Amino acid sequence: MLESLSQLYLPGAVTLWAAVIFALASMWGYSLVLRGDGGSLRFARLSYNFFALAITLASLMLGLLLMMRDFRIEYVYQYSGLDLPAHYQFAAFWAGQKGSFLIWLLWGALIGILIKRTAGRNEPMIMGIYTLTLMGLLFILVRENPFVMLKQTPLDGQGLNPLLQDDWMVIHPPIMFIGYAASAIPFAFAMASLWRRDYDDWAARAFPWALGGFLVLGCAILMGGYWAYKTLGWGGYWGWDPVENASLIPWLLGTVMIHGLHMERTKGRYRRANYILAALVYLSVLYGTFLTRSGVLADFSVHSFVDLGISGWLVALMGGFAALSLWLLATRLRHVPTKPNEDPFLSRGTFMVLSTITVLVSSVVIAFGTSTPLVTRWFMENPAQVGPSFYNKVNMPIALLIALLLAMVPYLTWRGDDLKAVLRKLLVPGLFSLAVTVTAAAWGGVHDPLHLIFVFLAGLALATNLHKTVTRARAAGIGAAGGYLAHVGVGVILLGFLASSAYDESTKVTLEAGTPKKVGDMTLTFTRFIPREGREKERMEIEVVRGSERFMVYPKLFINDRTKQVMANPDIRSTPFQDLYVSPIDFDPGQPQLQLAKGESGHLGDMGVRFVGFDLQAEGNAMAQMASGGPVTIGAVVEVTQKGGKTTTLRPLYRLNPTNGAVETPPMPLPGGGAIFVSGINASESAVQFEVSGVANPARLSIDVTRKPLIQLVWFGLYIVLTGGAVATFNRLRQVRKRDELAAVVAE
Amino acid sequence: MKQTYRYYALGGVLLLAFAGFSLSSFKETLTPYVSYKQARDADRIVQVAGGLEKGSSKYVADEDFLYFTLQEPEGADTIRVRYKGLKPANFEDAISIVAIGQYDEGAKEFEANKLLVKCPSKYQGAEVKEYG
Repeated sequence: MLESLSQLYLPGAVTLWAAVIFALASMWGYSLVLRGDGGSLRFARLSYNFFALAITLASLMLGLLLMMRDFRIEYVYQYSGLDLPAHYQFAAFWAGQKGSFLIWLLWGALIGILIKRTAGRNEPMIMGIYTLTLMGLLFILVRENPFVMLKQTPLDGQGLNPLLQDDWMVIHPPIMFIGYAASAIPFAFAMASLWRRDYDDWAARAFPWALGGFLVLGCAILMGGYWAYKTLGWGGYWGWDPVENASLIPWLLGTVMIHGLHMERTKGRYRRANYILAALVYLSVLYGTFLTRSGVLADFSVHSFVDLGISGWLVALMGGFAALSLWLLATRLRHVPTKPNEDPFLSRGTFMVLSTITVLVSSVVIAFGTSTPLVTRWFMENPAQVGPSFYNKVNMPIALLIALLLAMVPYLTWRGDDLKAVLRKLLVPGLFSLAVTVTAAAWGGVHDPLHLIFVFLAGLALATNLHKTVTRARAAGIGAAGGYLAHVGVGVILLGFLASSAYDESTKVTLEAGTPKKVGDMTLTFTRFIPREGREKERMEIEVVRGSERFMVYPKLFINDRTKQVMANPDIRSTPFQDLYVSPIDFDPGQPQLQLAKGESGHLGDMGVRFVGFDLQAEGNAMAQMASGGPVTIGAVVEVTQKGGKTTTLRPLYRLNPTNGAVETPPMPLPGGGAIFVSGINASESAVQFEVSGVANPARLSIDVTRKPLIQLVWFGLYIVLTGGAVATFNRLRQVRKRDELAAVVAE
Repeated sequence: MKQTYRYYALGGVLLLAFAGFSLSSFKETLTPYVSYKQARDADRIVQVAGGLEKGSSKYVADEDFLYFTLQEPEGADTIRVRYKGLKPANFEDAISIVAIGQYDEGAKEFEANKLLVKCPSKYQGAEVKEYG
């Protein structure tokens, strides 16, 4: 909806409109350059810089409004509050849809400044298309303006969703959006290259950007996994949730693209495929955004956003860029010169093609699974979705194949190889991997043949790539070994995936305070409840005794003051070989209280209680006492049913002295020991609150205790992959710079 | 050249095989939303949704079983659900509950292995939590 001017915070809104004008001016300037007017280049660049400046200013403004808690602004009201600590105050920026589109646009606009410098001779077309991708986001923001004001200024905001009040919220989303913004760069380079029929230059220039985007998105996914695992208590690092998948699919496609670009750079292969891949990466980001932001999955995801009414825009955006890509691919692709495929089967070329196809298939299958609610809408009465088991199942053969291919690639050459020679090279790593597999079978409890093959292949991939990393780094410096290093990480991750997902043991157990309980080879005792201390929330102390080892874990379970939501944070005891993951589920403080209206019944501990009604003649006539203004005594008639089924009627008293407000509630002894008393009377609901005392009624804590073997390998492996990727990125950047230097020398 | 085509054919066959495998896993893991009547007749894993019938929930701590009755949102049909696991927090306040599982003919109960409990929340209308 378009708001009338009075409903907008004008400095912010005007800045956004100015950004639209500068973006259009820049595109117009670049189009003049394309028509041969070289003098317009300065104008086009300057306009772009002003566009980026306007977006930066708009972002700063929203940030400041959030910091100043200016609740006139609807967005500030919705996502901030007076009690919100300062660092979350800023994180509220990307808590909602509008703010997250703005930060995405901000990163995109800033990156654009850098692209201009590296775009080379095709800058006008590249910048034109790149700015067009940003315009899509900008239009959404102009339509769903973050600077909408409320008619009245509320005193306090609604606060930030307590689930998001976490340190990861400060860092994870902005990095994710850098990754999303970066996906438009190879797209712009590729489409511009097709448009201008200038097929030779783009791959080298887009390569470092593609690698950089892959790295940043990888970091963001890693952080999201940490967040889910360490604080959200979802039990794992990956839940195949649509929002998670929406970032994984572009990352996998990006992985395929960087391998395609590598092949193009080194062997001149994949020249046509890379155009398709660059388009797919960007379109998958848009598609993921559509799935998670349009509300189509609102019933299916734990953290999808609700519909903001932008579905139509997102579909148009996606459709527009898909149409542009399809048109360019359809009209130009067959003119892109390629070399015929003459690789023998057993060669590096063929194996790289096979592994990229395998990753591509994986991303297609994941995209298909994530789209299930959309797809099933067409042929089923009610839309449905697939659970994690689908993804785990179909990705199993893919992982096996990837591990096998990765294990072979280091020992294959571009020319082609003799099978015997390759097998001979594989002998030593094979023995290493066999040792790993035997260890897993003998001591790790891995007996499933498929899992043993998995361990062997992942171990083999790890070993051969590690060998090659070392030899390459020795021969040509570490810069040349980035790819192999990343593949070592893939082997490590695969081992971690299998161990932590197929071999975790989870037990749900309820602990009574002070009573030790055996869970597997551990003895757990819920020792005490620790009340809130400053910023530290309510914690549960659990003593764990395992063999001669004794330690405490402190999972948290607390109620958010604002929303009354029960929040649970797990505690993790990490050891090199396994994590002990203790996640609280439920807590019963053990001092039962019960409020009942007349005729209602309920439970106090294991005792059934029915409130029959008031006894107004307990100690004289209560009505007369009230009328006289003196002390009043009311009796509450309750039927108490104790364990064993015996029911007794009791009349606990409630004495009130209206002159000084003193309340006396003598406990009424229960037949089996202990006593029941009236702890309050709720006049407005004519209900009575009962409590019991003196009954052994310990606090109860329900927890989920999970052992996750070798989960450290997942994190460790991802670090290796990202380090390898970083090494490769710097290496490619250096190559582009050298090429440009050389070109400059030649030109002189 | 002939050999290249053989590779393409082989690759095509492998891809087709994989597509078949994914489709069968897809069908297997797909859990359609069905009415209670359909759920009672189905011989596969399905999802049923509904509201909690007041006062129907019972948690048996020794066996770790939660029993409750769901009421069909439109219509008067009810279904008794058995869920192995702890009773979710705020369970009684649930606006709607989705139970994923299979009907047990013998016990005349819907055996849920997963629950999605939608509770009222100030944020974004409602909050869905997953159990099981």
